[in-house]
Amino acid sequence: MSDQLIKPDLNFVKDVIASGGESLKKCFQCATCSVVCNLSPDDKPFPRKEMIYAQWGLKDKLFSNPDIWLCHQCSDCTAYCPRGAKPGEVLNAVRKLSIQNYSVPRFLGKAVGSPSYLVLLFAIPVVVFLVLLASLGHLSISDIPRAANGSISYAKFLPSLYIDSVFMPIAIFAVVVFALGISRYWKDLTSGAGMEPKGGLLNTIIATIGTILSHKQFKKCEVTKDRQISHLLVFYSFIGLAITTAWAVAYLYGPAIMKLLGMKPFSWLLGESPYPLTDPLKWLANISALALIVGITLVVSNRLKNKEKAGKGSYFDWLFISVVYLVALSGILAEVFRLADIAILAYPVYFIHLVVVFFLFIYAPFSKMAHMVYRATAMVFAKSTGREI
Amino acid sequence: MEKKIGVYICTDCEIGKALDIDSLVKVATKMKAPVVKTHPSLCLKEGVEFIKKDMAAEGVNAVIIAACSPRVNYDIFNLDTPLVERVNLREQVVWTHPPNDEDTQMMAEDYVRMGILKMQRMEAPEPYKVEDLSRNVLVIGGGIAGLTAANEAAKAGYDVFLVEKNEALGGWMTKIYKQAPTKPPYEDLEEPEINDLIKEVQQNPKIKIFTSALVEKIDGAPGIYDVTVKRNGGVETFRAGAIVEAAGTVPYDAAKIAHLGFGKYSNVITNYMMEELATKGAIVRPSDGKPAKSIAFIQCAGQRDEKYLPYCSATCCTESLKQAKYVRNQDPEAKVFIFYKDIRTPGHYEYFYKSMQNDPGIFMTKGEVKGITEDENKNPIVEVENTLLGEKISVNVDLVVLATGMVPVTALGDEILPPGVNPGDEFIPYVMIETDILNLGYRQGGELPSLAHGYPDSNFICFPYETRRTGVYSAGTVRAPMDITFSKEDATGAALKAIQCIELTSRGEAVHPRVGDISYADFFMQKCTQCKRCTEECPFGAINEDEKANPLYSPTRCRRCAVCVGACPERIISFKNYSVDMIGNMVKNIEVPEEEEEKPRAIVFACENDAYPALDMAGINRLQFNAFVRVVPLRCIGSMNLVWVADALSKGIDGILLMGCQYGEDYQCHMATGSHLAKIRLSKVAETLDRLKLESGRVQMTQVSIADYQKIPQILNEFLEKLKEFGPNPYKGF
Repeated sequence: MSDQLIKPDLNFVKDVIASGGESLKKCFQCATCSVVCNLSPDDKPFPRKEMIYAQWGLKDKLFSNPDIWLCHQCSDCTAYCPRGAKPGEVLNAVRKLSIQNYSVPRFLGKAVGSPSYLVLLFAIPVVVFLVLLASLGHLSISDIPRAANGSISYAKFLPSLYIDSVFMPIAIFAVVVFALGISRYWKDLTSGAGMEPKGGLLNTIIATIGTILSHKQFKKCEVTKDRQISHLLVFYSFIGLAITTAWAVAYLYGPAIMKLLGMKPFSWLLGESPYPLTDPLKWLANISALALIVGITLVVSNRLKNKEKAGKGSYFDWLFISVVYLVALSGILAEVFRLADIAILAYPVYFIHLVVVFFLFIYAPFSKMAHMVYRATAMVFAKSTGREI
Repeated sequence: MEKKIGVYICTDCEIGKALDIDSLVKVATKMKAPVVKTHPSLCLKEGVEFIKKDMAAEGVNAVIIAACSPRVNYDIFNLDTPLVERVNLREQVVWTHPPNDEDTQMMAEDYVRMGILKMQRMEAPEPYKVEDLSRNVLVIGGGIAGLTAANEAAKAGYDVFLVEKNEALGGWMTKIYKQAPTKPPYEDLEEPEINDLIKEVQQNPKIKIFTSALVEKIDGAPGIYDVTVKRNGGVETFRAGAIVEAAGTVPYDAAKIAHLGFGKYSNVITNYMMEELATKGAIVRPSDGKPAKSIAFIQCAGQRDEKYLPYCSATCCTESLKQAKYVRNQDPEAKVFIFYKDIRTPGHYEYFYKSMQNDPGIFMTKGEVKGITEDENKNPIVEVENTLLGEKISVNVDLVVLATGMVPVTALGDEILPPGVNPGDEFIPYVMIETDILNLGYRQGGELPSLAHGYPDSNFICFPYETRRTGVYSAGTVRAPMDITFSKEDATGAALKAIQCIELTSRGEAVHPRVGDISYADFFMQKCTQCKRCTEECPFGAINEDEKANPLYSPTRCRRCAVCVGACPERIISFKNYSVDMIGNMVKNIEVPEEEEEKPRAIVFACENDAYPALDMAGINRLQFNAFVRVVPLRCIGSMNLVWVADALSKGIDGILLMGCQYGEDYQCHMATGSHLAKIRLSKVAETLDRLKLESGRVQMTQVSIADYQKIPQILNEFLEKLKEFGPNPYKGF
């Protein structure tokens, strides 16, 4: 039989509705959204077909098609939909469900996606760090040792060994989950497209990275064109902070490794933090942090400004935004209070910073953060099957 | 009474400025009109008073008003005589032709002359009042439409006889579980309202109800129907003045829709059967009685399809959505599929549709259902292509509901054509379908003539509520597919029409469309040859026949269209104010200039329903047309008698153009078949013309609607061009 036997999944429809796509049933397939979308290819455009697939609970058709990630949620479609069906928000909900589908273990995905687990999810890092600090006896401010010159030193508060023994495993966990997710996702994409991607995968990956770095797709948005700036800032500040972290790791372990190799350590490998503000690492770090706080503030203000036309966003979105905000804020404030020597604020804020960064990393494959991996994968796949982007 | 003619020429509205009024007065005086006067503005109060004074003082009792079109100000010129003739000098002369021009003047003078000639051959009609008129209303059918019509007529003060073939009143409305919402927010299903209506009708003393009854016979005519009803083996008779036919519908036989598997697979049912399941309490599969957890509704099942029912039944989309709500209310985990060609939820039902769309358990898509098969558990599998999902799909469900359509009971019988007429003939006077509803004692047949899909014919553009039988008004789904709300409105309208018919008939006036006309046909039987033309061609069956084929005319059935006047080859039929002689006289006395003057003459016979208004509209828009035409208004172009062609041509008229309403499948002829009849008669005139050695192209017919007024100048110019090619009529000056 050339036609497909269709089995709608009513529970999936209800999940989409619960994840922020509650208006999806209003769509009557007029295709205004697909016409208005500047990012959609002309052949089998999105988001019209995604709307009816979602209405019919056809989970597999939605997940195995890269189109949901080619969408960058400009929300032009939501702004122009004559029925108020908000296709942008519906696709957002589907993307969330897709993340939860591919990142295992699935129970974590479900937990990150529902507000009732929020306290528990935060409780984990809180407990972990409290236990570590307790074991060091650093739970009371007066017990916390200072740097040699008497200034506040977070490295003394919680030594890097402890930090790394927590963050390395969770980073590796995140990477492993992402790797598993990508491989399962790629398999579904292949079977969904019914064809293997054409050769030259490396070139495709490079081209996709180029598109992402230039933020070319964001330029095509109309209603939310300010996102190009805000996302650019957040994106590059994350890159900046990642480089900063690697740089700090080099500073920290560089001398020891060089000594192990029987070399004399470079003088600019400064060892343990804190580092002087004049150091280029601190320049990069502070500029990135500043960019991040500006960027995420713009993200919030843009969303509030556009909420009439573009929808107000889901719990999933705002959780991620809030966590990023907290990371940036707590990071900057931790530095400020350290430099101002206000111990009573510095240590708690630094503690909060550790907690939210933990939250960001370990739940990265399950939260909206995962978009950076899944969207990139989908874009690579689309390009390699000749689907123009 | 001795006729004294008064001619009153109005000089307002540019008439005085564009024409030589003194010349017109001279023309009228030469025609021996005893009173000829002019007035600066006849439609003002003082103008009317001016005429009335003459009527009182000088005994004028036949008034000719040479001014604006007869289509306007008829309420102002309401004078105390039925003999009022309007000569149209405004819309069709001064507004459409250059002022102070020789040809315009000749036209105006001809029209004044023709008006006087017409009046000279007119007699004052007197209304025909039936003896012993009945003001009762007969309602056939006790469903929601019939009950509403009966109720409304009774509330207006008329006695009603209601005849219902079943034992119980209420019709299909007693078989529904709930009604689709009629109140904001249009989301909740409502209790059926029929029971309250049944009680109200039963308790009304003015309504006499016959259940388990059929109409055996209806003799007579509007105002004087003799109705015979049979029930319980016996008959009862009563009289009625007008009839509302609300006999309703039956479901289309779904077994005929081969590819949808009804009758073949046990779990494929119709929407009627689905409603029945709901009334019984649980929606279960016929094959095993288990509750249905997934249901597919197939819309337009056997409808909007030339192979089955070509039309849409108006209510099935709303009904399927309602039934989908039954299913979802019964089980929130149930899945409902709706496959449609289009979703038609008119008016406020759109809100109901939107609310059903919002239900996550309802999956809708446009698509064509290719076929239905069954798996080993008797679960139907529906194959659909051209869907909104972009591909062919199939779904496996527990139950399939076919939204089948409704067929009016007037369609359930064999088609009978008039004797000698075959299907596919160019002109078919009427189609009768042999059913057992009205059993009218009419020579053309006992039921209402039908046109499309077995429904009683009506001019759906202009008069959708009038059947082709005066006094009989169809209402509800037997007239057209409609829902509950529409049926009630329709029935109320039909009751009103029935009452109008009774009241107008009581005054001896025509009911429609020549409302208030008191003239009626007179038959000079001594010269009748029993050719049966009039009895067969009357669009409204107003003429019966006796055993010798003599026509028996019934004035109250008559719509005064005068098609019979045109049909009769012996010309024995006439109205007091409209006859072959009257028009012939006008035609024969049009002034025809000599050949050398190169002023051709063409007569335009224009029907008063669309063609004459189109000419007026051209005038209102100041479109200029050819001054060589002379317009002769006819009641219906079907009253065109061929002798006028001979009359005109023998006097040197160069050509004759008939302008009538559109005929054919989407006809607009206000008298149903008049226009087509004129066309048929013209085809016979070609022989006559050939005999006279005249070109047959000199006599043409064109179909015109009032909306075509822009084309009038072009139509007339093209006709005159054609006549120029033929050259002048050789009979000029004989």
